[in-house]
Amino acid sequence: MLRYIAKRVIQFIPVFLGVTLILFVMQNVVPGDPIKLIAGEKKLDPQTEINLRVSYHLIETDESGRPIYDEDGNTIDTPLWKRYVAYVSGLLHGDLGRSYQQNGKPVSSILGQKYPYTFRLAVVAIIIESIIGIAAGMVSAIRRYSAWDVGVTLVTSGMVAMPAFWFGMLQQLFWGIFLKNVTGGSFYLPISGAGGPHAEFEGWVYYLLPALTLAAVSTAYTARIMRSQLLEVLNQDYIRTARAKGLSRRAVIWRHALKNALIPVVTYIGMDFGGMLAGAILTETVFNWPGIGFETYRAISQRDWPIVMGSVTVIVIVVMIINLIVDISYAFLDPRIRFDGSKSE
Amino acid sequence: MAGTMMNRRTFVQGGLAASALTALAACGKKGGSGGSGGDANDNFIKFYINNPVAIDPYNTQESEGTQVEHILFDALTDYDWDKGELVAKAAESWEINDAADEFTFHLVKGATFHNGDPVDAASFKRGWERICDPNMTTPSEIRYHLDPVVGAAEMAAGEATELAGVTCPDESTLVVKLTAPMADFPYVCVHPALAPVPQAALDDPEAFLTAPIGNGPFKMDGEWVADQYINVVRYDDYYGDPAKVDGIYFSIQKDPDTAFREFEAGNIDFTSIPSGRLGEVSDKYGLAEDGYTVTPGAQTLTGAEVSIYYLVVNVEDEVMGDPVVRKAFSLAINRQNICDTVFEGTRQPADCIFPRIIDDDAGNIWDGCEYDLDAAAALLDEKYPAGADGKRGISITLSYNSGGGHEDIMSIIQGDLEKIGVEVTQESLEWAAYLQNLSDGNFQVGRLGWIADYPTMDNFLYPNFLSTAENNYSRYNNPEVDKALADARQLIDEEERKAAYREVNKLVGADMPIIPVMFYSHNHVGSERLASFFYDPQGKAEFAAAELA
Amino acid sequence: MDANNDTLGAAAASVEAAQASTFAAAPSRTLWGDAWHRLRRNRLAMGGAIWIILMVVIALTADLWVPRTLGSPTAIDSSTMTSMSRLPPSSEHPFGTDTLGRDVLCRVIYGARISLSVGVLATAISTLIGLVAGALAAYNGGLWDAVIMRFADIFLAFPYTLFVIAMLAVIGPGIQNVFIAIGVLGWPSIARVFRSAILSVKENDYVDAARAMGASDARIILRHIFPNSVASIVVYATMNIGGAILTESALSFLGMGVIPPDPSWGIMIQDGQTYLATQPWLMIMPGIAILTTVLAFTLLGDGLRDALDVKMKDA
Repeated sequence: MLRYIAKRVIQFIPVFLGVTLILFVMQNVVPGDPIKLIAGEKKLDPQTEINLRVSYHLIETDESGRPIYDEDGNTIDTPLWKRYVAYVSGLLHGDLGRSYQQNGKPVSSILGQKYPYTFRLAVVAIIIESIIGIAAGMVSAIRRYSAWDVGVTLVTSGMVAMPAFWFGMLQQLFWGIFLKNVTGGSFYLPISGAGGPHAEFEGWVYYLLPALTLAAVSTAYTARIMRSQLLEVLNQDYIRTARAKGLSRRAVIWRHALKNALIPVVTYIGMDFGGMLAGAILTETVFNWPGIGFETYRAISQRDWPIVMGSVTVIVIVVMIINLIVDISYAFLDPRIRFDGSKSE
Repeated sequence: MAGTMMNRRTFVQGGLAASALTALAACGKKGGSGGSGGDANDNFIKFYINNPVAIDPYNTQESEGTQVEHILFDALTDYDWDKGELVAKAAESWEINDAADEFTFHLVKGATFHNGDPVDAASFKRGWERICDPNMTTPSEIRYHLDPVVGAAEMAAGEATELAGVTCPDESTLVVKLTAPMADFPYVCVHPALAPVPQAALDDPEAFLTAPIGNGPFKMDGEWVADQYINVVRYDDYYGDPAKVDGIYFSIQKDPDTAFREFEAGNIDFTSIPSGRLGEVSDKYGLAEDGYTVTPGAQTLTGAEVSIYYLVVNVEDEVMGDPVVRKAFSLAINRQNICDTVFEGTRQPADCIFPRIIDDDAGNIWDGCEYDLDAAAALLDEKYPAGADGKRGISITLSYNSGGGHEDIMSIIQGDLEKIGVEVTQESLEWAAYLQNLSDGNFQVGRLGWIADYPTMDNFLYPNFLSTAENNYSRYNNPEVDKALADARQLIDEEERKAAYREVNKLVGADMPIIPVMFYSHNHVGSERLASFFYDPQGKAEFAAAELA
Repeated sequence: MDANNDTLGAAAASVEAAQASTFAAAPSRTLWGDAWHRLRRNRLAMGGAIWIILMVVIALTADLWVPRTLGSPTAIDSSTMTSMSRLPPSSEHPFGTDTLGRDVLCRVIYGARISLSVGVLATAISTLIGLVAGALAAYNGGLWDAVIMRFADIFLAFPYTLFVIAMLAVIGPGIQNVFIAIGVLGWPSIARVFRSAILSVKENDYVDAARAMGASDARIILRHIFPNSVASIVVYATMNIGGAILTESALSFLGMGVIPPDPSWGIMIQDGQTYLATQPWLMIMPGIAILTTVLAFTLLGDGLRDALDVKMKDA
């Protein structure tokens, strides 16, 4: 087992270096000078520009931190490879650099502020997804071809085909605006933000709509996987045998079929959790949610690459860990799998 | 039938789930049942802002940070929009020397910072030096405000450790020496970033970034939580008139549309109105008479702002380098139509560089800013005669930044220009890429807005049309204009100075390096809770004087 | 062509004959015939197919009839703009009008052009890259396999939406760049599917037989392996089109996709967001267009999968 984990981590290193390298190259070919952008519509004066470049280690300096000039009196850009090496070595020391646009705030403290929101939202969404998805899929499989089954199939197909941001707006329209108008302002849900000390609702209420939106597509997938897995299991010999031995259908489903059918579902949910921890740009945008997805998206459009690098680095590591956990727990759930290093894909 | 039964049951279940959710939400509501709910919120204003860049004065630059910072800190002077003149703030009086390059400010005595430290001349020098200091973790991006001051450039270049041009002969006297005459300098000192800071700003700069300690009528309540909120409360030992409200809750939203929805839901007291909804909003909430003050029943603000929306033209471009073509374009644009349709008549068509609120002299108006398609076509006829299909063989690219709500305006301008036989392609880029193209001169016609830093005529001309100015994206170079600007800055007499700037405006207007499109105006609405709330033409809310019903 | 090649051709033909007899139960012609038979009975899939055909026909013929009845999707008539702004749905404007007085139905129809072309072209690009990469990896094995699959891992490790956005930041917005960004970033999953399809086919006897008779690698891939993996590619591509349409709408919604005044469904939703409380149809109508179109591709994809009996491990 430990060998398996070590092997996965080692396999991860080239992937990780590749990801950061690609981002680093992107950063350097993307149009838009991050330093010039800092000032917004008004231009920076040249001296300030140089000072900023020094403070972000974008140009070469002498020991005292003064910029080095070439014979034409221009500053010298620090070569890309040097900056990449500096980035990776900073990373090993836990230093993710500083933001360009947010007044030099350390990236680690920005991520520290945003990640908890993404994490908590993902947890709520996963709970919604697991409960509704598994239940709907089970009922659908047990009452195959019933109106319920057709309904679930149609609704899940629809959910998968819906743009998340559009679904989010429909929720705002219904829960926030329509209900408020209909009930004369007595029943409604908050449509944006994450609460706060002077907010109208208790903090947890603010999780409902974004979590529902975030969970929509995954719930549909969960239900579909649950349905097809359960149907497959129910058709297998040992289930038929159990039925033949006189066990009730209910008992067979609860005691035997469910456990086996759940394995792929749990795997999917685990992977999905990893995906959610990468942040949900669209949901976070629509609901004004202060999470990692929107932060990274905003950073890309503002050319705030230290934030992009930092958050993608963290996301990739988190997703890697989640996937590893999922794979390992697979072994506990499914006794047929052993990590003898010859796992076939 | 089974199917219908099932459907009904599903429906009932769905309904139950829905009502359960709302019931839960009702539990989740905090005490009180009012729209703006909440226990002790009664004397607090809830104000929408976008996430600021900085609220520490050393780097306060955009509207959102300024909105918070200008009530935490008092600069030397202030501008009274009612009287249209400069008034005292942290400085009770000031003098100017005859050469217009040295200013002596006398500070109000007995003023204190929120931590009890005295506000003295040294604290101003400290604050200004932080702006010039290249060794700040992130150097300030707004050092240009202090450019006229002796020693600012040296300090930024790391050649000096203090601001030589600022001296403190005694605790309450601040003397500022400029490198070149600039009679308008006391107007520069209105800028809220040029504020004093206590020693604490140097001792713990990290804490100062998120919870700055100022000398203004409000102080921080807790620290700024990025992308969520900033809360401030009244500072009771303020040297001036104390604030009438207990505090302000700044609600940080990413998106003005969301903020407006929150306003409609009764959770925010003041916000901007999404484009296209002004008519409906002013019908519902009433229009403020003066355009700047919210009172119950007259809550919609449409007063003019000190800013202009214009097309920036690359005068080095082959086609656009010809002033005749620029003038023809200007004549072809139906400005009134843009103002009426996209902005429902609130914005005013621009016909020169000065918004009326800065200077309303009738002689300022540029030739060729009226809408006249025939005249526009006639101007082009000579150089670019129209073909059989009406096209003139001119094709230009109209560039702009995406996501700023410019799409509609640019589509209308495209339509207008096509009417005089010009082929137009739109180029919508992200702000970063767009700005890069402007800087590189890699554009033909673009768009920009200019928001005045200080309420002076100089601030519309000098930064935009001086040949060496940073913001001169048109690459306009007219030695006559350069000289006239330098001369105007030396005139101590207000009226003489204004007259000189009017002449510069005429010179620029004859060349049209930019095509004025419209003057911005407020597009904001306040809630009924606001008994009196003034939102000035620069977009700074006068929270200290605001009253709640 | 020289004689040597001719004999090779004959050899290959005989291998094909052998293969046909070995797999008598599912020769290639009957495979598709059977699949069509099964697909026809799947009402949901047929509904999806009909909807797609309808959309394609409307999108292709739009120029012939839409401007005459509904006006232009992009042009703005400044004289009537104010009076026509944001009208509610009526018989004259079934979906209402937008802020600039343009007919929303007209824009939705032209939006179909953008969405469908993005869906198809982006999928074509990723399928092409994926096929080549998958084939190289699976057929050559060894270092090729390791390198290509590590590359695929790197691409898959990125959070997808962020990666597309970053890519568009680099190459700029605009519809061509949307094709490219979505297309280029979509290859790893197709490469994986194709790779495993090849690996499973590669072990079959008839491939060994072909190789023994000296058939070239390219020929073996094109003549033997490709036809036998084509079912999974078709299914995968169909489903991918829906995904590409969704991605395009999200990008346009964020202002990084199609450039106005071109009508994209994502942009229309973004425009309509402002009027959510007062004129919700502005945002609902284009959303329904996305929903139905993507749903149609999903249902058709599901149907094809069942009809062709493709096991989708990776999807």
